[in-house]
Amino acid sequence: MTEALLQAQRISKFFGDRPVLHGINFTARPGQAAVIVGRNGVGKSTLIRVFCGLARPSAGRLLLFGAEPVHLAAAQFRRLGVLLHQTLLYPNLSARENLEFYAEIYALAEPATHAARWLERVGLQRAADEPVSALSRGMEQRLGIARALLADPDLILLDEPFSALDRDGSAMVAGLIREALARRAAVLFTAHTPLEIEGVDLGLFKLESSGLTPLREEPRRRALRSLLRRRL
Amino acid sequence: MAAFLNFSPAGGDQSEGAGRGNPFFRSLLAMLEGFGAIVRKDLRLEVRSGESTVALVSLSILILVVMVLAFGPGGARRAEVAAAALWIALIFAGTLGATRALLAERESGCIRGLLLSPVEPATIYAAKLAVALIFMAEAGVAVLVVLVLFFNLEFGGGLLRLIPVALLGAVGLAALCTLLATISGRVRAGAMLLPVLVVPLFTPALIAGSKASAAVLAGQPLSAVATWLKLLCAFDVLFVAAGYLLFEHVILED
Repeated sequence: MTEALLQAQRISKFFGDRPVLHGINFTARPGQAAVIVGRNGVGKSTLIRVFCGLARPSAGRLLLFGAEPVHLAAAQFRRLGVLLHQTLLYPNLSARENLEFYAEIYALAEPATHAARWLERVGLQRAADEPVSALSRGMEQRLGIARALLADPDLILLDEPFSALDRDGSAMVAGLIREALARRAAVLFTAHTPLEIEGVDLGLFKLESSGLTPLREEPRRRALRSLLRRRL
Repeated sequence: MAAFLNFSPAGGDQSEGAGRGNPFFRSLLAMLEGFGAIVRKDLRLEVRSGESTVALVSLSILILVVMVLAFGPGGARRAEVAAAALWIALIFAGTLGATRALLAERESGCIRGLLLSPVEPATIYAAKLAVALIFMAEAGVAVLVVLVLFFNLEFGGGLLRLIPVALLGAVGLAALCTLLATISGRVRAGAMLLPVLVVPLFTPALIAGSKASAAVLAGQPLSAVATWLKLLCAFDVLFVAAGYLLFEHVILED
């Protein structure tokens, strides 16, 4: 059994008295991909923020790379790539400067080269020196995805990565997800409605107020579950 | 500016470079690289917009003008009034500078980008403290120039002796303001709340700073205000240590 990159055990999250997440169990292993769907306001973004360690769960246990996020060595965050609802980009810096800054704080070799490579990959070479505040929402989303994947992370958590993207942009993100899976990264993302990515065995989960329900499991996960059932 | 904050091995591969040497130096190098990158980025943003500099310098000068109009530039208590004006301006510059240093991160949500990066929260705190200190230094220089002009002070020993006093006070104030700005930034009207939190906690250091400043402006040597300087040093250590240790806990979301 490969190392679990993310393990959520009976995670609940309350905002004051209002429950947002309830009894969430989830495990992400290298090479696995899953999409979590749910209606607006059901807590998908909160779930991503809890899974990446930004928000503390009110109950339950979360392990990132085998450790609770508060005890995780800072260097381990290099293995984590996150896209939130906000793109986490500085509006007054250019697209290039943003990626160079993130490449620097991730201690990547030759930040300028990394930034240029990723600008090309997400199709923003021509807008490289435009301030982020001047980019369209779709272009900013592309740049946000480049920022999240800049360090080739092992665990990728994306909050609605396909939102605001045109057909080419969506195909580009699907391609990046395929590439990440090919190098054995785990990918988890949220969406409003179920979707497919060609060539990817995508586990499908539905987030509701009652918890996270598997609608379609990724084949290896399904095989493991049926094996466990037979043994039990 | 960029050169002295660039800790990367020149032209080298940082990933491979990080693999060399012992773990302590690796982690120290990573910390310095993260610190340098954040400070450089904040200064680049400030050079581009100039918002903090304009606000801090104009506010500080305005405070001094009000003080001069209220108390007059001359008189027997000139040194005390000048010291009071300096510290009032520093308090406002500190709260505004620390707020500005964190505001850009909060507004764009980029603080989350920093927290999700391999940079230690304590390093983020140290970088924000350094940036707040630089903003305060800008205001401090403007205040000193205006002090000399408005209070007919002489460019000389008294003014030079004022620099270490103001610097010691500024370090503690920037450390406290950065920590409290992190906390107050999480609540509505937090910017309004910041001075209410800062002033009571900084009062002992404020007394030490203003007494020492008044004494050196009146012509006394630094040795005569050693007790006040030791007190300022103690508060610096206390506030910097508290910020360094607590920042990680106050910056995380609920």
